[in-house]
Amino acid sequence: TAVASLQALFQCDHVQYTLVPVAGWQELETAFLEHKDQFKYFVLINCGANVDLLEILQPEEDTLFFVCDSHRPINVVNVYNDTQIKLLVKQDDDLDVPAYDDIFRDEEDEEEESEDESDGSEPSEKRRRFEEEVIERTMKRRQRREWEARRREILFDYEQYEYHGTSSAMVMFDLAWIMSKDLNDMLWWAIVGLTDQWVQDKITQMKYVTDIGILQRHVSRHNHRNEDEENSLSIDCMRIAFEYDLRLALYQHWSLYESLCNTSYTSASLKLWSVQGQKRLQEFLADMGLPLKQVKQKFNSMDMSLKENLREMIEESANKFGMKDLRVQTFSIHFGFKNKFSASDIVYATTSLMENIEKEGPETTNFIKALDSLSRGNLDKLHQGLDLAKKQLRAIQQTVASCICTNLVISQGPFLYCSLMEGTPDVKLFSKPVSLCLLSKYLLKSFVCSTKNKRCKLLPLVMAAPMDVEQGTVIMVGIPPETESSDKKNFFGRAFEKAAESTNSRTLHNHFEMSIIELKTEDRSKFLDALISLLH
Amino acid sequence: LRRQRVELSVELRKAKKDEQILKRRNISLHSEENPPLGEDRADVMIIQPSLEKIVEAVNGDDTQLQLLATQVTRKILSRHKDPPIDQIIELGIIPRLVEFLGRADNAALQFEAAWALTNIASGTSEHTKAVVDGGAIPAFISLLSSPHMHISEQSVWALGNIAGDCPHYRDALIARDVIPPLLALVSPITPVGFLRNITWALSNLCRNKNPCPPLDAVQKILPVLIFLLQHEDKAVISDSCWAVSYLTDGCNDRIQVVVETGILPRLVELMDSPEFTVMTPALRAIGNVVTGTDQQTQEAIDAGALTVLPRLLRHTKPVIQKEAAWTLSNIAAGPSQQIQQIITSGLLPPLVELLDKGDFKAQKEAVWVVANFTTGGTVEQVLELVRSGVLRPLLNLLLAKDSKTILIILDTISSLFLAAEKLGETEKLCLLVEELDGLEKIEDLQNHENDMVYRAALNIIEKYFSGEENIDLEPQTGQGGLYDFSVEKQDFNF
Repeated sequence: TAVASLQALFQCDHVQYTLVPVAGWQELETAFLEHKDQFKYFVLINCGANVDLLEILQPEEDTLFFVCDSHRPINVVNVYNDTQIKLLVKQDDDLDVPAYDDIFRDEEDEEEESEDESDGSEPSEKRRRFEEEVIERTMKRRQRREWEARRREILFDYEQYEYHGTSSAMVMFDLAWIMSKDLNDMLWWAIVGLTDQWVQDKITQMKYVTDIGILQRHVSRHNHRNEDEENSLSIDCMRIAFEYDLRLALYQHWSLYESLCNTSYTSASLKLWSVQGQKRLQEFLADMGLPLKQVKQKFNSMDMSLKENLREMIEESANKFGMKDLRVQTFSIHFGFKNKFSASDIVYATTSLMENIEKEGPETTNFIKALDSLSRGNLDKLHQGLDLAKKQLRAIQQTVASCICTNLVISQGPFLYCSLMEGTPDVKLFSKPVSLCLLSKYLLKSFVCSTKNKRCKLLPLVMAAPMDVEQGTVIMVGIPPETESSDKKNFFGRAFEKAAESTNSRTLHNHFEMSIIELKTEDRSKFLDALISLLH
Repeated sequence: LRRQRVELSVELRKAKKDEQILKRRNISLHSEENPPLGEDRADVMIIQPSLEKIVEAVNGDDTQLQLLATQVTRKILSRHKDPPIDQIIELGIIPRLVEFLGRADNAALQFEAAWALTNIASGTSEHTKAVVDGGAIPAFISLLSSPHMHISEQSVWALGNIAGDCPHYRDALIARDVIPPLLALVSPITPVGFLRNITWALSNLCRNKNPCPPLDAVQKILPVLIFLLQHEDKAVISDSCWAVSYLTDGCNDRIQVVVETGILPRLVELMDSPEFTVMTPALRAIGNVVTGTDQQTQEAIDAGALTVLPRLLRHTKPVIQKEAAWTLSNIAAGPSQQIQQIITSGLLPPLVELLDKGDFKAQKEAVWVVANFTTGGTVEQVLELVRSGVLRPLLNLLLAKDSKTILIILDTISSLFLAAEKLGETEKLCLLVEELDGLEKIEDLQNHENDMVYRAALNIIEKYFSGEENIDLEPQTGQGGLYDFSVEKQDFNF
């Protein structure tokens, strides 16, 4: 969504550009190599902040990078390089970057150390004796050692956890707003960006609510005047509205029943993978007084009378069944009279388009399609995305159910572990990072609801799925524990790195998310052993 | 054609620059260091940090105040940033400080005064002169024998600064008999830091020409230098090597004095040291020795110099490459037996490599090697040189910007043709030069702005490449096959 905003901005200023979608570090490097002779300015969106860009890309000195990326922590070299790297970051984002002097030393200081390693030139004719030379030098050396130890500690603390800052789409919108070039479309993309962070569980509840508040002010600024002119609304007009909507995935484009079954929140709370769970669902529906026939038909075709107070009715019954957070603050969009989408609908649709496993041309086609689906004129692509999303959610739900019913989630001590076998239905879908992450989150949520083991409820989860059977690789993701007060900070990135190092496992840290790793199937068990002992 | 070091002035300029860098670095690093005078002494409050008060206290009778004032002076002169040497000299307190050197009853005062004077003498020649004129030389020399080691060490340091200033002061010190007490400080139990100071001071006593240090002084110092060359500390070894390199940088008689001590094998060994700071001066010393007589050069060869040189020609640092090639060029200027030893020591391949890919300064020296080699070598030796592939890189260097180098190369080519004529292989050499695009380059040189280059190039063209009418030079097949100039594997039919 940030890309869409940026494109609009470029268009606005008639800037020529080339758009290259990249899925991982390798692709980023290749894309850079291919374009570096031709371009001096590179804008990196949602990638690049958390590694030393100059180190991995080795750019010429006159190449300039603008980085708009929510990945945290930002690499310290990127932070302190003020000539080639320009970071687009919201001012109020708390970055906690270590102070410059704590992590960098000027080279002049370095030279001091090797002073007596002269370059083989003749001894000087005359030498002055400095104040307590020897003592001074040993003190310098000791100070340096202490400084280095402290530096390691500071960097360890800083880099230990991976997390996410403000959505790039919101940052882009801010930029547009500051330049007085903000459009309602960009605002909507910012909303989708934020909602994506929420759906993928990347940010804390607190951050979500704060950002919703910020966007709400922009929404009323951009959309208030339309209210008086409702009659004059044209077919292609768009309107954004704040809503206190149901937390049911895609329900307005599905049936209420399907949505209840395939939304992680409801399915985990009701424990739908069990017979009792199914019974509980019937009771829940009965409590609302909704006939099963109505519930199972397309939401659009439900009786208008039933829909009128639907949200309140569902919320009331949900409270009785222990689902106290069924309603959330979000936004919806109207295109003309007919089409209404909630922000999360768009998120599900676009991510499904991005990770569509049906090959329709080169890898980048998915990205372009997803990008297209964001613009108003491409409702057909959006609907295709919604269909894919439904498939994806069903697949996730079925996989979660089977993992729990067959006890595939095992406690490894410091973390839970679940591995999908080759041949599991839909397993191919989960070779994609976002789908695998969603599955992991849903599975962990459900597992926490299903287990009676109190200790297990507090554990993080590591999940593995086959990646490429021919090459014998698996994709592995680690996610933080599912607790209410979770800060969503993830330590698996560093842990994976260390475990791979100590076992010489053949791994590939290709994803911009450090907590996702690819490794050779035969190295998996030694890698896991190392991970266990590392985290103990 | 032996050549003394020509780039001495460049070296000196470089040393100066290094010094400046050193100074600049200190300034930026120690800006925090501007301590209130004598901050560590409570009683210092009596003395205001003004220079007038210092003068007053130094000239006064209160020994306590004398000490404090001298210490304050020393501290000002010891700070890294801009020591105010001029201002201190202007105070006129140097004679008084020299006087303090003689206060055997007050070691602290002696030490502070010695340190302060050391730092004044470390400045410009003007500054050193002020210390010498203050009568410091005899005072420091007698302090060499102080019962306090830190005082005698400080005196060594001060005397080193004075000796390093100019040959005149160096000889003044020698005339005052600085050498015996200085050498007496060297013993197996001398702490290494002290020993470094002594070695450095000794190297300054050996340093500088016009005139060289007196012969008898050199003969006294040499045995101690030889002892120091066996030390394990690399700074001690390095400065000892530098001292030897100074002593060998002169006429053959001076070289002879060093050669006779039998130190050459040790120098060759050090020339092979992994320590850059040791290797450099050792190579310099050997390089100086082979500027001497054939006999002296033979001594260096017998000590193994030729076995180390291949590695040095291939060294990663251009300075070493250059020095090694310079050394080799002087050996190549010797009789054909020594040239033969160059061949048998396997020096031709690294020489060709250097000529091909070395640093330009080193390439220029390598050109000299080839020039001397072709002038002094037998026909067979020259043939061997050509076979090792020297021609291609040599001809490539005709593109150099340096007229002198080009002239030497053209000269060398002429010598090669002379050798070829003797073998009756002129035609083959012509072909080879042409195949290597050499003819083209020589032809281009006829347009060179330098008249001598133009004439030398023209001469070669006229003599060997002026077409078929030159019937004399039809291939003489009489000895055909016996001599073949072709480079191994490369099949150049010469």
